[in-house]
Amino acid sequence: MYTIYSATGCTRCKIVMARLRQLGLDFAEHDMKAAGKEAFQRFYAANRRAIFRGPEGVEFPLLTDGQTIRQGLGPALAWLQAGPDALAGFFQVGVLHKEWLDGIDISGGDPARADDFLAVLRHLKQNAMKLEIATDGGNAALLAAAVREGLADRLVMNVRGPAHLYGQLAGRPVDPADIRATIALVAAFPAKQFQTVVAPLRRADGAVAYLAPGEVGQAAALIAEAAGDNHQPYLLRPFRPEAAADETLRRAEPLAAAALLPHRSAARTHQVKTEIEKTG
Amino acid sequence: MSNGTKPVDALRFPAILYHREHTWLQADGDAARVGISDYAQDELGDIIFFELPAVGQRFAAGQSFGSVESVKVVSTLYMPVGGEVLAVNDALADTPELANRDPYGDGWIIAVKPDGPGRGGLLTSREYREYLKTLK
Repeated sequence: MYTIYSATGCTRCKIVMARLRQLGLDFAEHDMKAAGKEAFQRFYAANRRAIFRGPEGVEFPLLTDGQTIRQGLGPALAWLQAGPDALAGFFQVGVLHKEWLDGIDISGGDPARADDFLAVLRHLKQNAMKLEIATDGGNAALLAAAVREGLADRLVMNVRGPAHLYGQLAGRPVDPADIRATIALVAAFPAKQFQTVVAPLRRADGAVAYLAPGEVGQAAALIAEAAGDNHQPYLLRPFRPEAAADETLRRAEPLAAAALLPHRSAARTHQVKTEIEKTG
Repeated sequence: MSNGTKPVDALRFPAILYHREHTWLQADGDAARVGISDYAQDELGDIIFFELPAVGQRFAAGQSFGSVESVKVVSTLYMPVGGEVLAVNDALADTPELANRDPYGDGWIIAVKPDGPGRGGLLTSREYREYLKTLK
Protein backbone atom coordinates (compact mmCIF):
# COMPACT_ATOMS: atom_id res chain seq x y z
CA MET A 1 0.00 0.00 0.00
CA TYR A 2 1.48 3.31 -1.07
CA THR A 3 0.77 6.76 0.31
CA ILE A 4 1.18 9.82 -1.84
CA TYR A 5 1.39 13.31 -0.39
CA SER A 6 0.24 15.78 -3.00
CA ALA A 7 -0.72 19.41 -3.36
CA THR A 8 -3.85 20.77 -5.00
CA GLY A 9 -3.17 21.47 -8.67
CA CYS A 10 0.09 19.47 -8.71
CA THR A 11 0.26 17.98 -12.21
CA ARG A 12 3.25 15.83 -11.29
CA CYS A 13 1.27 14.30 -8.44
CA LYS A 14 -1.52 13.45 -10.87
CA ILE A 15 0.94 11.74 -13.20
CA VAL A 16 2.24 9.54 -10.37
CA MET A 17 -1.30 8.70 -9.22
CA ALA A 18 -2.28 7.81 -12.77
CA ARG A 19 0.74 5.52 -12.95
CA LEU A 20 -0.19 3.86 -9.65
CA ARG A 21 -3.69 3.21 -11.02
CA GLN A 22 -2.26 1.97 -14.32
CA LEU A 23 -0.11 -0.54 -12.43
CA GLY A 24 -3.05 -1.59 -10.26
CA LEU A 25 -1.31 -0.50 -7.05
CA ASP A 26 -3.34 0.53 -4.02
CA PHE A 27 -2.60 3.95 -2.64
CA ALA A 28 -3.98 6.66 -0.39
CA GLU A 29 -3.67 10.29 -1.34
CA HIS A 30 -3.23 13.10 1.17
CA ASP A 31 -3.55 16.55 -0.40
CA MET A 32 -1.67 18.86 1.93
CA LYS A 33 -3.76 21.82 0.77
CA ALA A 34 -7.03 20.09 1.57
CA ALA A 35 -8.21 17.21 3.75
CA GLY A 36 -4.77 15.63 3.85
CA LYS A 37 -3.17 18.56 5.64
CA GLU A 38 -2.90 16.94 9.07
CA ALA A 39 -1.62 13.66 7.64
CA PHE A 40 1.03 15.56 5.71
CA GLN A 41 2.06 17.52 8.80
CA ARG A 42 2.56 14.28 10.73
CA PHE A 43 4.52 12.75 7.87
CA TYR A 44 6.61 15.90 7.49
CA ALA A 45 7.37 16.16 11.21
CA ALA A 46 8.57 12.55 11.27
CA ASN A 47 10.59 12.69 8.04
CA ARG A 48 11.60 16.30 7.52
CA ARG A 49 15.34 15.58 7.52
CA ALA A 50 14.84 13.37 4.47
CA ILE A 51 12.64 15.79 2.56
CA PHE A 52 14.23 17.94 -0.12
CA ARG A 53 13.42 21.61 -0.49
CA GLY A 54 14.01 23.35 -3.79
CA PRO A 55 13.95 27.10 -4.42
CA GLU A 56 10.17 27.05 -4.21
CA GLY A 57 9.93 24.86 -1.12
CA VAL A 58 8.94 21.25 -0.61
CA GLU A 59 8.78 19.39 -3.91
CA PHE A 60 5.73 17.25 -4.52
CA PRO A 61 4.77 14.47 -4.87
CA LEU A 62 6.13 12.50 -1.94
CA LEU A 63 5.56 8.77 -2.31
CA THR A 64 6.09 6.24 0.47
CA ASP A 65 5.29 2.66 1.33
CA GLY A 66 6.04 3.24 5.00
CA GLN A 67 9.70 2.29 4.62
CA THR A 68 10.96 4.02 1.50
CA ILE A 69 10.31 7.63 0.52
CA ARG A 70 10.74 8.95 -2.99
CA GLN A 71 10.22 12.63 -3.75
CA GLY A 72 9.55 14.24 -7.08
CA LEU A 73 8.14 12.94 -10.32
CA GLY A 74 11.23 11.23 -11.74
CA PRO A 75 12.25 9.35 -8.58
CA ALA A 76 8.65 8.28 -7.91
CA LEU A 77 8.12 6.90 -11.41
CA ALA A 78 11.53 5.20 -11.32
CA TRP A 79 10.52 3.42 -8.11
CA LEU A 80 7.24 2.26 -9.62
CA GLN A 81 9.04 1.13 -12.76
CA ALA A 82 11.85 -0.90 -11.26
CA GLY A 83 11.70 -0.98 -7.46
CA PRO A 84 13.22 1.36 -4.91
CA ASP A 85 16.90 1.16 -5.89
CA ALA A 86 17.29 -0.28 -9.39
CA LEU A 87 17.35 3.13 -11.07
CA ALA A 88 19.21 4.87 -8.25
CA GLY A 89 21.53 7.47 -9.64
CA PHE A 90 19.46 8.17 -12.73
CA PHE A 91 16.78 10.30 -11.04
CA GLN A 92 16.97 12.95 -8.34
CA VAL A 93 14.54 15.59 -7.18
CA GLY A 94 14.74 18.42 -9.67
CA VAL A 95 14.22 22.14 -9.31
CA LEU A 96 12.61 23.04 -12.64
CA HIS A 97 8.86 23.57 -12.75
CA LYS A 98 5.82 23.57 -14.99
CA GLU A 99 6.39 21.31 -17.99
CA TRP A 100 10.17 21.08 -17.52
CA LEU A 101 11.72 18.25 -15.54
CA ASP A 102 15.36 18.05 -14.50
CA GLY A 103 17.15 15.84 -12.00
CA ILE A 104 17.76 13.21 -14.69
CA ASP A 105 21.42 12.14 -14.73
CA ILE A 106 21.95 9.68 -17.54
CA SER A 107 25.51 8.93 -16.45
CA GLY A 108 24.57 8.37 -12.81
CA GLY A 109 22.87 4.98 -13.04
CA ASP A 110 23.53 1.39 -14.04
CA PRO A 111 23.50 1.01 -17.85
CA ALA A 112 22.26 -2.55 -17.39
CA ARG A 113 18.93 -0.95 -16.40
CA ALA A 114 18.71 0.96 -19.68
CA ASP A 115 15.33 -0.54 -20.60
CA ASP A 116 13.71 0.55 -17.35
CA PHE A 117 15.36 3.96 -17.53
CA LEU A 118 14.10 4.57 -21.05
CA ALA A 119 10.64 3.33 -20.07
CA VAL A 120 10.46 6.03 -17.39
CA LEU A 121 11.53 8.69 -19.88
CA ARG A 122 8.89 7.48 -22.33
CA HIS A 123 6.23 7.69 -19.65
CA LEU A 124 7.31 11.24 -18.81
CA LYS A 125 7.19 12.27 -22.46
CA GLN A 126 3.74 10.66 -22.85
CA ASN A 127 2.66 13.02 -20.08
CA ALA A 128 3.88 16.06 -22.00
CA MET A 129 6.91 16.71 -19.82
CA LYS A 130 9.97 18.39 -21.32
CA LEU A 131 13.09 16.61 -20.14
CA GLU A 132 16.42 18.17 -19.29
CA ILE A 133 18.95 15.38 -19.20
CA ALA A 134 22.30 15.84 -17.51
CA THR A 135 25.43 13.81 -18.15
CA ASP A 136 29.08 13.93 -17.30
CA GLY A 137 29.93 11.71 -20.24
CA GLY A 138 29.25 8.22 -18.88
CA ASN A 139 26.70 5.94 -20.55
CA ALA A 140 27.09 7.58 -23.97
CA ALA A 141 25.26 4.74 -25.69
CA LEU A 142 22.26 5.24 -23.43
CA LEU A 143 22.26 8.96 -24.17
CA ALA A 144 22.37 8.18 -27.88
CA ALA A 145 19.35 5.89 -27.48
CA ALA A 146 17.40 8.56 -25.58
CA VAL A 147 18.22 11.20 -28.19
CA ARG A 148 17.37 8.85 -31.05
CA GLU A 149 13.93 8.22 -29.53
CA GLY A 150 13.26 11.91 -29.00
CA LEU A 151 13.22 11.54 -25.22
CA ALA A 152 15.38 14.59 -24.49
CA ASP A 153 14.48 18.25 -24.86
CA ARG A 154 17.65 19.77 -23.45
CA LEU A 155 21.06 18.29 -22.70
CA VAL A 156 23.46 19.56 -20.06
CA MET A 157 26.94 18.11 -20.02
CA ASN A 158 29.06 18.55 -16.93
CA VAL A 159 32.56 18.42 -18.36
CA ARG A 160 34.43 17.51 -15.20
CA GLY A 161 37.79 18.83 -16.34
CA PRO A 162 40.68 17.95 -18.61
CA ALA A 163 41.02 14.34 -19.77
CA HIS A 164 43.89 13.47 -17.39
CA LEU A 165 41.85 14.55 -14.31
CA TYR A 166 38.42 13.47 -15.51
CA GLY A 167 38.13 10.23 -13.56
CA GLN A 168 39.36 11.81 -10.34
CA LEU A 169 36.88 14.68 -10.64
CA ALA A 170 34.03 12.33 -11.57
CA GLY A 171 34.82 10.05 -8.64
CA ARG A 172 34.90 6.93 -10.79
CA PRO A 173 36.88 5.45 -13.69
CA VAL A 174 35.80 6.91 -17.02
CA ASP A 175 36.22 5.77 -20.58
CA PRO A 176 37.71 8.63 -22.63
CA ALA A 177 35.89 7.36 -25.70
CA ASP A 178 32.59 7.58 -23.81
CA ILE A 179 33.34 11.19 -22.83
CA ARG A 180 34.17 12.17 -26.40
CA ALA A 181 31.11 10.40 -27.79
CA THR A 182 28.89 12.24 -25.31
CA ILE A 183 30.46 15.59 -26.17
CA ALA A 184 29.73 14.94 -29.84
CA LEU A 185 26.11 13.99 -29.08
CA VAL A 186 25.52 17.04 -26.91
CA ALA A 187 27.21 19.38 -29.37
CA ALA A 188 24.93 18.21 -32.17
CA PHE A 189 21.78 18.60 -30.06
CA PRO A 190 19.72 21.77 -30.63
CA ALA A 191 19.24 22.78 -26.96
CA LYS A 192 22.40 22.13 -24.99
CA GLN A 193 24.84 23.47 -22.44
CA PHE A 194 28.36 22.46 -21.58
CA GLN A 195 29.52 23.43 -18.13
CA THR A 196 32.43 22.90 -15.78
CA VAL A 197 32.44 23.44 -12.05
CA VAL A 198 35.80 24.97 -11.22
CA ALA A 199 36.37 22.55 -8.37
CA PRO A 200 39.23 21.79 -6.01
CA LEU A 201 40.87 18.39 -6.08
CA ARG A 202 43.62 16.61 -4.23
CA ARG A 203 46.88 16.82 -6.17
CA ALA A 204 49.67 14.25 -6.39
CA ASP A 205 51.54 15.95 -3.55
CA GLY A 206 48.49 15.70 -1.27
CA ALA A 207 47.61 19.38 -1.44
CA VAL A 208 44.10 20.45 -2.37
CA ALA A 209 43.99 23.01 -5.16
CA TYR A 210 41.37 24.33 -7.55
CA LEU A 211 41.41 23.54 -11.25
CA ALA A 212 43.91 25.95 -12.72
CA PRO A 213 43.07 28.22 -15.66
CA GLY A 214 45.23 26.07 -17.93
CA GLU A 215 43.34 22.94 -16.88
CA VAL A 216 40.00 24.56 -17.63
CA GLY A 217 41.48 25.58 -20.96
CA GLN A 218 42.30 21.91 -21.57
CA ALA A 219 38.69 20.99 -20.76
CA ALA A 220 37.50 23.54 -23.30
CA ALA A 221 39.94 22.09 -25.81
CA LEU A 222 38.52 18.62 -25.13
CA ILE A 223 35.06 19.93 -26.02
CA ALA A 224 36.38 21.59 -29.17
CA GLU A 225 38.18 18.47 -30.27
CA ALA A 226 35.22 16.10 -29.75
CA ALA A 227 32.56 18.57 -30.93
CA GLY A 228 34.51 19.68 -33.95
CA ASP A 229 33.93 23.37 -33.30
CA ASN A 230 34.74 26.14 -30.86
CA HIS A 231 31.35 27.83 -30.63
CA GLN A 232 29.61 25.62 -28.08
CA PRO A 233 27.78 27.27 -25.16
CA TYR A 234 30.17 26.72 -22.23
CA LEU A 235 29.58 27.87 -18.68
CA LEU A 236 32.10 27.98 -15.85
CA ARG A 237 30.45 27.52 -12.48
CA PRO A 238 31.93 28.40 -9.08
CA PHE A 239 32.40 25.48 -6.71
CA ARG A 240 30.08 25.42 -3.69
CA PRO A 241 32.03 23.86 -0.80
CA GLU A 242 28.91 23.28 1.28
CA ALA A 243 27.58 20.90 -1.38
CA ALA A 244 30.74 18.76 -1.55
CA ALA A 245 30.54 15.15 -0.43
CA ASP A 246 34.22 15.08 0.53
CA GLU A 247 34.97 16.54 3.97
CA THR A 248 38.30 18.00 2.83
CA LEU A 249 36.69 19.75 -0.12
CA ARG A 250 33.91 21.10 2.12
CA ARG A 251 36.59 23.07 3.95
CA ALA A 252 37.90 24.66 0.72
CA GLU A 253 37.72 28.42 0.56
CA PRO A 254 35.17 29.33 -2.13
CA LEU A 255 36.44 31.19 -5.18
CA ALA A 256 34.85 34.53 -5.98
CA ALA A 257 33.36 34.82 -9.46
CA ALA A 258 36.08 37.34 -10.33
CA ALA A 259 38.71 34.70 -9.59
CA LEU A 260 37.36 32.74 -12.55
CA LEU A 261 38.26 35.43 -15.09
CA PRO A 262 41.64 33.81 -15.90
CA HIS A 263 39.84 30.46 -16.30
CA ARG A 264 37.39 32.07 -18.71
CA SER A 265 40.22 33.61 -20.70
CA ALA A 266 41.96 30.23 -20.96
CA ALA A 267 38.72 28.49 -21.97
CA ARG A 268 37.87 31.12 -24.59
CA THR A 269 41.00 30.17 -26.45
CA HIS A 270 39.15 26.95 -27.33
CA GLN A 271 35.47 27.82 -26.78
CA VAL A 272 34.79 31.42 -27.67
CA LYS A 273 31.35 31.51 -26.05
CA THR A 274 32.61 30.65 -22.56
CA GLU A 275 30.87 32.55 -19.75
CA ILE A 276 30.98 32.57 -15.96
CA GLU A 277 27.79 31.65 -14.13
CA LYS A 278 26.12 34.62 -12.51
CA THR A 279 25.46 33.99 -8.84
CA GLY A 280 23.59 35.84 -6.09
CA MET B 1 10.69 35.94 3.29
CA SER B 2 8.62 36.95 0.30
CA ASN B 3 5.56 35.94 -1.68
CA GLY B 4 3.00 37.05 0.90
CA THR B 5 -0.46 37.51 -0.45
CA LYS B 6 -1.93 40.34 1.64
CA PRO B 7 -1.22 44.05 1.34
CA VAL B 8 0.14 45.58 4.54
CA ASP B 9 -3.10 47.41 5.30
CA ALA B 10 -4.99 44.09 5.27
CA LEU B 11 -2.77 42.63 8.01
CA ARG B 12 -3.56 42.69 11.72
CA PHE B 13 -1.42 44.84 14.04
CA PRO B 14 -2.53 44.50 17.66
CA ALA B 15 -1.02 47.01 20.06
CA ILE B 16 1.97 44.94 21.16
CA LEU B 17 5.69 45.18 20.41
CA TYR B 18 7.34 43.82 17.28
CA HIS B 19 10.84 42.76 16.26
CA ARG B 20 12.09 43.67 12.79
CA GLU B 21 12.49 39.95 12.09
CA HIS B 22 8.71 39.58 12.47
CA THR B 23 8.29 38.17 15.93
CA TRP B 24 6.12 39.90 18.51
CA LEU B 25 6.25 40.35 22.29
CA GLN B 26 3.23 40.69 24.53
CA ALA B 27 3.81 41.38 28.22
CA ASP B 28 1.92 39.22 30.70
CA GLY B 29 2.91 40.28 34.22
CA ASP B 30 6.59 39.46 34.76
CA ALA B 31 6.55 37.17 31.75
CA ALA B 32 5.81 37.75 28.08
CA ARG B 33 4.59 35.75 25.14
CA VAL B 34 6.36 35.58 21.81
CA GLY B 35 4.95 34.65 18.42
CA ILE B 36 5.21 35.49 14.76
CA SER B 37 3.37 38.40 13.20
CA ASP B 38 0.47 38.25 10.79
CA TYR B 39 2.89 39.44 8.13
CA ALA B 40 5.23 36.54 8.87
CA GLN B 41 2.55 33.88 8.73
CA ASP B 42 1.19 35.35 5.51
CA GLU B 43 4.63 35.32 3.91
CA LEU B 44 5.34 31.77 5.08
CA GLY B 45 2.08 30.31 3.82
CA ASP B 46 1.06 26.88 5.11
CA ILE B 47 3.12 26.28 8.25
CA ILE B 48 3.95 22.61 8.76
CA PHE B 49 6.55 22.46 11.54
CA PHE B 50 8.09 24.41 14.41
CA GLU B 51 11.50 23.59 15.84
CA LEU B 52 11.34 25.04 19.32
CA PRO B 53 13.66 25.41 22.33
CA ALA B 54 13.39 23.62 25.62
CA VAL B 55 11.98 25.26 28.70
CA GLY B 56 14.82 26.80 30.69
CA GLN B 57 16.97 27.75 27.70
CA ARG B 58 18.20 31.33 27.64
CA PHE B 59 18.58 33.55 24.60
CA ALA B 60 19.83 37.05 23.97
CA ALA B 61 17.71 39.65 22.22
CA GLY B 62 17.94 39.07 18.47
CA GLN B 63 19.28 35.54 18.89
CA SER B 64 17.70 32.64 17.04
CA PHE B 65 15.52 30.50 19.29
CA GLY B 66 14.15 28.08 16.72
CA SER B 67 12.72 27.85 13.26
CA VAL B 68 9.41 27.65 11.48
CA GLU B 69 8.93 25.54 8.37
CA SER B 70 6.24 26.05 5.80
CA VAL B 71 5.76 24.29 2.50
CA LYS B 72 7.54 27.20 0.83
CA VAL B 73 10.38 28.08 3.17
CA VAL B 74 12.30 27.46 6.39
CA SER B 75 12.66 30.62 8.46
CA THR B 76 14.61 31.41 11.62
CA LEU B 77 12.78 32.66 14.70
CA TYR B 78 14.42 35.57 16.52
CA MET B 79 14.00 36.60 20.14
CA PRO B 80 12.47 40.05 20.52
CA VAL B 81 14.06 40.33 24.01
CA GLY B 82 16.68 38.45 25.95
CA GLY B 83 15.38 36.03 28.52
CA GLU B 84 14.62 32.54 29.68
CA VAL B 85 12.05 30.26 28.08
CA LEU B 86 9.30 29.58 30.61
CA ALA B 87 6.92 27.62 28.39
CA VAL B 88 6.52 26.34 24.86
CA ASN B 89 3.19 26.15 23.05
CA ASP B 90 2.91 22.36 22.78
CA ALA B 91 -0.20 22.68 20.62
CA LEU B 92 2.03 23.75 17.72
CA ALA B 93 3.54 20.26 17.55
CA ASP B 94 0.27 18.75 16.36
CA THR B 95 -1.34 21.86 14.95
CA PRO B 96 1.34 24.15 13.55
CA GLU B 97 -1.22 25.95 11.42
CA LEU B 98 -2.47 27.63 14.61
CA ALA B 99 0.19 30.20 13.83
CA ASN B 100 -1.49 30.80 10.46
CA ARG B 101 -5.00 30.95 11.87
CA ASP B 102 -4.37 32.93 15.04
CA PRO B 103 -0.80 34.26 15.14
CA TYR B 104 -1.43 36.60 18.07
CA GLY B 105 -3.58 34.21 20.09
CA ASP B 106 -3.59 30.41 20.07
CA GLY B 107 -0.59 30.45 17.73
CA TRP B 108 1.79 31.93 20.33
CA ILE B 109 5.15 30.16 20.32
CA ILE B 110 6.98 30.57 23.62
CA ALA B 111 6.57 32.37 26.93
CA VAL B 112 9.69 34.02 28.30
CA LYS B 113 10.91 35.74 31.41
CA PRO B 114 12.60 38.85 30.00
CA ASP B 115 16.04 39.69 31.40
CA GLY B 116 14.97 43.22 32.23
CA PRO B 117 12.47 45.94 31.50
CA GLY B 118 14.34 47.25 28.46
CA ARG B 119 12.54 46.94 25.14
CA GLY B 120 15.01 48.91 23.03
CA GLY B 121 14.81 48.32 19.33
CA LEU B 122 11.31 46.87 19.36
CA LEU B 123 8.68 48.58 17.27
CA THR B 124 5.18 49.72 18.15
CA SER B 125 2.35 48.45 15.96
CA ARG B 126 2.35 51.72 14.03
CA GLU B 127 6.11 51.65 13.55
CA TYR B 128 6.01 48.00 12.50
CA ARG B 129 3.26 48.70 9.96
CA GLU B 130 5.33 51.53 8.45
CA TYR B 131 8.42 49.31 8.47
CA LEU B 132 6.58 46.61 6.55
CA LYS B 133 5.58 49.13 3.89
CA THR B 134 9.27 49.63 3.19
CA LEU B 135 9.62 45.89 2.57
CA LYS B 136 6.67 45.35 0.27
